[in-house]
Amino acid sequence: MKWNVGMKIGTGFGLALAILAAIGIIAYRSIAKLIDTAQWVDHTHQVLESLESVMSTMKDAETGQRGFLLTGEDRYLAPFLAAQGTIDGQIKTLRDLTKDNINEQRRIDALEPLIGGKDGKFAELSETIDLRKDKAKGFEAALAIVRTDTGKKTMDEIRKVVDEMKNQEITFLKTRTDEAQAGARTATFAIILGTLAALAVMTLAGFVITRNIADPLKEITVTADRIASGDLGVAISINNREDEVGVLARTFARMTDSLKAMAEVAAKIADGDLRTTVTPQSPNDVLGNAFARMTENLRDQTRQLVEGASVLGSSASEIVASTTQLASSASESAAAVSETTTTVEEVRQTAQAASQKAKAVSDSAQKAAQIAQSGRKSTEEVVAGTNRIRQQMEAIASSMVRLSEQSQTIGQIVATVEDLAAQSNLLAVNAAIEAARAGEHGKGFGVVAQEVKSLAEQSRQATNQVRTILGDIQKATAAAVLATEQGSKAVEAGAKQTEVAGESIQALAGSVTEAAQAATQIAASSQQQMVGVDQVAGAMENIKQASMQNVASAKQLETAALNLSDLGQRLKQIVERYKV
Amino acid sequence: MTNGTMQKETRDDGQILRVRARALARPLDRPASSQAMLELLEFHLAQERYALESRWVREVLIFKELTPLPGCPAFVLGIVNVRGRILPVLDIKRFFDLPEKGLTDLHRIILVSGNDLELGLLADSIVGVRSVPMADLQSTLPTLTGVRSDYLKGVTADRLVVLDLGRILADPKIIVHEEVDT
Repeated sequence: MKWNVGMKIGTGFGLALAILAAIGIIAYRSIAKLIDTAQWVDHTHQVLESLESVMSTMKDAETGQRGFLLTGEDRYLAPFLAAQGTIDGQIKTLRDLTKDNINEQRRIDALEPLIGGKDGKFAELSETIDLRKDKAKGFEAALAIVRTDTGKKTMDEIRKVVDEMKNQEITFLKTRTDEAQAGARTATFAIILGTLAALAVMTLAGFVITRNIADPLKEITVTADRIASGDLGVAISINNREDEVGVLARTFARMTDSLKAMAEVAAKIADGDLRTTVTPQSPNDVLGNAFARMTENLRDQTRQLVEGASVLGSSASEIVASTTQLASSASESAAAVSETTTTVEEVRQTAQAASQKAKAVSDSAQKAAQIAQSGRKSTEEVVAGTNRIRQQMEAIASSMVRLSEQSQTIGQIVATVEDLAAQSNLLAVNAAIEAARAGEHGKGFGVVAQEVKSLAEQSRQATNQVRTILGDIQKATAAAVLATEQGSKAVEAGAKQTEVAGESIQALAGSVTEAAQAATQIAASSQQQMVGVDQVAGAMENIKQASMQNVASAKQLETAALNLSDLGQRLKQIVERYKV
Repeated sequence: MTNGTMQKETRDDGQILRVRARALARPLDRPASSQAMLELLEFHLAQERYALESRWVREVLIFKELTPLPGCPAFVLGIVNVRGRILPVLDIKRFFDLPEKGLTDLHRIILVSGNDLELGLLADSIVGVRSVPMADLQSTLPTLTGVRSDYLKGVTADRLVVLDLGRILADPKIIVHEEVDT
């Protein structure tokens, strides 16, 4: 018979379960019996209690009756009335409780008439009470009835029956308690014994099952541990077993084989041979599928890597070229920056010179402003001088006019003299003619006439000279008048121009003042500019240093690019080792 | 200024005056010899020098207050009032085809008389009276023809044209007798 692990474990646990079930049944039965006994004990106590209450009610009724009989007051009747109301219910309860016992029922049947029957205790009590209600002689009649002792006898009867019932019940109680104790002992014994047996069986079963299952599992665990640590060169010795452990061992062996196959594939892949195709063991073979996908992806990725490495190689070459250019450009720009720095230094010196010049210009402008002020004063003086000149020119003009008039007067006088000379000439000619006519006698007169004519001629010539001179004088005067007029006009124009010049000079003075202010501002600006140029020079120095660093960086970059290029080449060689 | 210089100046002044007197002095007109002399009144006509025998000349007048006479020949300029006598004035330039320059106050009238005639001749200006030896007078120039040759007496060595006033006054052409048809 083949015993698989489930059956083995089931057998062991089933044995233990059977023992436990037996113990449980015994215990249950003992406990049920104990509960039953306890119920019966309780029942007996209830019966006893009920009997006690009946007796107590009866005593209450009698007590009430006695009180009423003695006093005749109604308030003593209260216990009696209460007992009368409750006694029937109590007897009924007692009957219900003792329904299962015929002997007790019989005794109750005997008890009932004694209490509520025609000759019962209550009848006797009611009779005496009714009699006592008659005030006059009720007491006596009632006493007479009491003295008959019927009531006492009835009461004794009742007590006797009740005591019997009590005894019966106490006997029951003793019997049931003994039974219960015997059952409890049996149960205790059975539980202890059963538990020990179960313990023994369980221990045995556990030992056997552990021996049978845990040891091979431990071996497999060790194997699994080695596999987990990556050692696939393991063999499992358990082969002949048909149970789950055997199956597990075979499955483990298969798993190990599969893992070995995977490892071989991985080793091939590790060697760079990506041509292996991995067939998954099953659709759920995660590792196989992953391996298949991995090889496929690796092939793709390796192809891409090859391409990437080629691209990287060429890119690295280009980068090398670019960085070489960059390095040379950086060198050139460093040189340019150096030149620029020199230029900025020159500019700074120029700005300094310009600042000094601006200061000098500002001073010059201040001086110019002062000169313009003095020029304005000079212009005012010139205006005044021009006015004086104009007045003098006017005086000259009037003098010239007078001179001209007098020249004309002289001309008239000269004309008169000329006329006189002409007449004298004619007179001389006439005298000569007369002298000629007189002949020899007139000769002396003729000489005189000739002399007169000569004088007249000289006079005429003198007059002509005077006229010529006068003409010259008049011409000169006219020219002088003209010149004076022109001078006057010129002076006028000069005055106007002087005014204009004064205004111009005034405007010029304003402009020069503004120019002076502007020059001052320019000087200040120039100062600021110089500061700015200083800053620029400093910045240029920084740029120069940065540029130097740039050159160094470019050189480093070039080296790095060369390294990168080498790396790209090496990467290409490495990638080419993969067989896709 | 010192006395010495004053005296020197005075002496210099006298020197200067003597120099001037010598410069102004003219040689005396040497009277001609006892040979026959011709007394002439020399005058200008249009820049040419002409002369008359002074025996015809009564006097020389200033040309003024000429009253033109209508209906007369061109050579008759008009009439003038000479001390109450009304005398005609002839323009002898017309006879010699000399250019006219218009009349001014500078013109002179030479009052001549002869052959019962008394009239004035217009002259541009009067030079004076001078004596010329008769022998110096040359015959008329062959270039002067017509009326000019008729009226000329002769030409002196210094090209002074001497007019024969007797012939002019005898010329019937200068007698104006015209009636104006109404």
